[in-house]
Amino acid sequence: MTETATTKEPNREPIKASEIDPKFKYELSRMHGSEKILRCFQCGTCTSDCPVARYSETYRPRTIIRMAQLGLRDRVLNSDTLWLCAACFTCTDRCPQDIEVASVIRVLRNLAAEKGCVPIVFKEQIASVLESGYAYKIPDLRIKKRETQGLPPLPKGNPASISKSLKGVKFLENIEKKSEQQ
Amino acid sequence: MSQPETDKQPAPEQLRIGVFICHCGLNIAGTVDIKELVEYSKTIPDVVYVKENRYTCADPGQEEIRKGIRDYKLNRVVVAACSPRMHEATFRRTVSEAGLNPFLFEMANIREFSSWCHPSTPKEATERAKDAIKMAVAKARLLMPLQTIEVPVTNKALVIGGGIAGMNAALDLAEMGFKVYLLEKSESIGGHMAALDKTFPTLDCSICIEGPKMVDVGRHPNIQIIANADLIKVDGYVGNFKVKIRRNPRYVMADKCTGCGECKDVCPIEFPNEWDLNLGTRKAISVPFDQAVPLIYTINKDYCIECYKCVDACGAREAINFEQKPEEIDIEVGAIIVATGYDVYLPYDMPLLGYGKYLNVITSMEFERLILAAGPTGGKVIRQSDGQKPHSVAFIQCVGSRDKNKYPYCSNYCCMYTLKHVVQLKEKYKEDIEVYVFYMDMRSPGKGYEEFYDRAREKGVNFIRGRVSRIDEDPKTHNLILHSEDENLGVPIEVEAEMVVLATASIPKKGSDELARILNLTRGADGFFMESHPKLKPLDAPTDGIFFAGACQGLKDIPYSVSQGSGAASRAATVISKPTWKIEPIVSVIDESKCRNVTVKCGICADKCPYQAIKIEPNKPAQVITASCHGCGTCVAECPQDAITQMHFTDAQILAQIRAALEKDPEDKILAFLCNWCSYAGADLAGTSRFEYPPSIRAIRVMCSGRVDRDFILEALRLGAGMVLVAACHLPYDCHYISGNYKMKARTDALKGMLEKLGMSPERFRVEYVSAAEGVHYAELIREIDAQMHALGKEKIKAENAKLKPVIENMLKRKKQ
Repeated sequence: MTETATTKEPNREPIKASEIDPKFKYELSRMHGSEKILRCFQCGTCTSDCPVARYSETYRPRTIIRMAQLGLRDRVLNSDTLWLCAACFTCTDRCPQDIEVASVIRVLRNLAAEKGCVPIVFKEQIASVLESGYAYKIPDLRIKKRETQGLPPLPKGNPASISKSLKGVKFLENIEKKSEQQ
Repeated sequence: MSQPETDKQPAPEQLRIGVFICHCGLNIAGTVDIKELVEYSKTIPDVVYVKENRYTCADPGQEEIRKGIRDYKLNRVVVAACSPRMHEATFRRTVSEAGLNPFLFEMANIREFSSWCHPSTPKEATERAKDAIKMAVAKARLLMPLQTIEVPVTNKALVIGGGIAGMNAALDLAEMGFKVYLLEKSESIGGHMAALDKTFPTLDCSICIEGPKMVDVGRHPNIQIIANADLIKVDGYVGNFKVKIRRNPRYVMADKCTGCGECKDVCPIEFPNEWDLNLGTRKAISVPFDQAVPLIYTINKDYCIECYKCVDACGAREAINFEQKPEEIDIEVGAIIVATGYDVYLPYDMPLLGYGKYLNVITSMEFERLILAAGPTGGKVIRQSDGQKPHSVAFIQCVGSRDKNKYPYCSNYCCMYTLKHVVQLKEKYKEDIEVYVFYMDMRSPGKGYEEFYDRAREKGVNFIRGRVSRIDEDPKTHNLILHSEDENLGVPIEVEAEMVVLATASIPKKGSDELARILNLTRGADGFFMESHPKLKPLDAPTDGIFFAGACQGLKDIPYSVSQGSGAASRAATVISKPTWKIEPIVSVIDESKCRNVTVKCGICADKCPYQAIKIEPNKPAQVITASCHGCGTCVAECPQDAITQMHFTDAQILAQIRAALEKDPEDKILAFLCNWCSYAGADLAGTSRFEYPPSIRAIRVMCSGRVDRDFILEALRLGAGMVLVAACHLPYDCHYISGNYKMKARTDALKGMLEKLGMSPERFRVEYVSAAEGVHYAELIREIDAQMHALGKEKIKAENAKLKPVIENMLKRKKQ
């Protein structure tokens, strides 16, 4: 996992036998959101109408499902492209096999996060949320400008409550885990 | 038809049972102590004669049986030998040769079920064999003479649907010499094939090969076509169907119309021709297409302005009659062939593909009419938007097919007809036209089909693996932009085409549900008619005397439909070629005095019968249509009043077997109910394969697991059985009586829950599925159950039974013993 989630060339390395974990698909088919993953017959309708795939050189929902079906656990969970999904659910809407493609990607992201594979941009966002309650830091200059324009001050974030929720889902532990590994 | 009294002992005559014990060389005698069996058999009440033979099935052995019947006036015969699945028929014949009713015979299986599966425990094997004889004698005491039932057969057939499958069925039957009625809903026979241009993979002209067949059908002296008509009602059963048909008015007299067409020429009114998929028109008095059979004109009253020009044109022939009324026709037939075909899905409800919105998006069937020389455009493929020939055409496969939200199945022939269309286009316009095919999987498994796919590629057709998600139209040019993924490259792709052809799903014929209701047919999840057995009876409906041909049973192309038509004809001939139809008398019989449908609304039996063989009318006792009954016994087990009896498998007979099996040390025994076709055969296979398993099992044969009454299980537990097993054919499709195993499962699931609540260990009552090929599985299963029984221990079983007994006795109270 690289620390910059960008449109990098996906892993085009030949697949080694040792990479394939045949049990992965069954695990997924028992998880909420990816129950129907075994149905996929790789028609590519998801990819055809995906607004991200249209502009990305690497992001293909079909290949993500394919990797998961084949049991390329590490490859798919370490993949940068997993994090490019915009969650517009067009793929879910178009799928002729009723696979909730966007939900499968959510499940895979959760699994990746459990491993600590979260791109740095998301980590930075989280740090910001924990600090201020905002996903990104609002520059002092802009706050000042609001004052001069006579706008009311921005509501205060509640980092304490957010931190409690994130603790509940063990989010921070997973992030830390990854940091220790490094 | 004999309807013997049930549940009564044949009291007037003294029981004289003969037991014949077979050595089967050393096959039985090598393990089981025959002497002990003989001595034991002599002690069983009502047994007056016991004889051992080296080979009972050989001529001398059979002669011993006949001699025994004559000399000792035996009125029941028990043969302890191999499996009844092996020689029951042989010995039934033997006893009937000696003047005894063949149903007064019973077999004890001491080879497959004893000597062969317990070779290392000869003592226990002998005990099991003794019990098998005791159980057989117990049943034999209650056996009743039965007569094979015969019903007369009408030697005529009805074929419903005049497409290529139905026409072939009708022609074959007619050629065999049978009278055939061919019922057709529309004005002409011919079906979809008459509307096609070419046929794959040979590209020969469809109507050129079908037209002569249609003429043959029309001219055949044994075939009567009843076209423009609907099926109203069918009563009766195999060999004896009474059919009511309504012939709709054409306003043209069939016997007077010469088909000259002079009326059409003067008719001023045109309307869209449905047969041309509304791309062309026809006159208000016309035939749908020139080759129509029968060639009788029809007036469409929705469009006719009653100017009577046609009447003038017809003149002295006087064929036109505006007063014609619908006509009801009653016919009697012995067999029915259903060949109603399919419909084509129109994808108006898939807005992303734009059918119905973009002028240049059409279906394959419409394309077929465009490229056909006799079609509305004279064979010119043109765009609806500007009447011009397209320079690029894209074909999209699986529109509506293989789609969980529409039709999840594969429509079978779309790959092939699309290949036909693209080859036709490329051969006609060469490099002047660019052709794209969007497909998910190319399916070309027939004879010459893969070569045809080669031909399409060699012509330069672009095959793109990917499913089109969306089509946009250029509002100026009316060209179409298709969005897909080229999967082989792994990138989204856009293709611009001047015309798009959708290979839409083929779907069950409209009106299939109505037909299913009239003929008591079942439909699968996909909506097509269900055959009796997917492998071995693919042409038979579950109702005897009704057969399927063509796409109504599942989508198939022309050669398969034709062969199925011939197949169905030959299946129908097996019925109508006989003067009478024989029915094995192991059918259900209803005791009208017990049936509660007289006083309350019940009908459970009719609801559970897999063959719709029970007729329910309010305030009347249920009635078994004996000719439709297959003898599974499911209704018997379901009847809350015990008002139904299955002949030769009566409650009394089976209860007697249970009691005989559990007379001694019931806590050490596994009582098993095995269905004849799968589980009993699987157990036989365990024996023939010499798979050894514990001899603690006592098995009772029933025709279907659906026959296993709750009361049998309760009685076994009341008597203290250690373990109880019901073994059936595998779910979902293996049951030889369509769904008897499901009915048994629903019944036993409920019972199991109750017994467990009452404190019975769950492993003591098991429902398992054993196929005829699973000898190993059966042996393992018995080993497992035996081990569980020992793990529970006799004391625990006894204690549980003591607790269960009062409750069960209370439940069984209503059953008069």
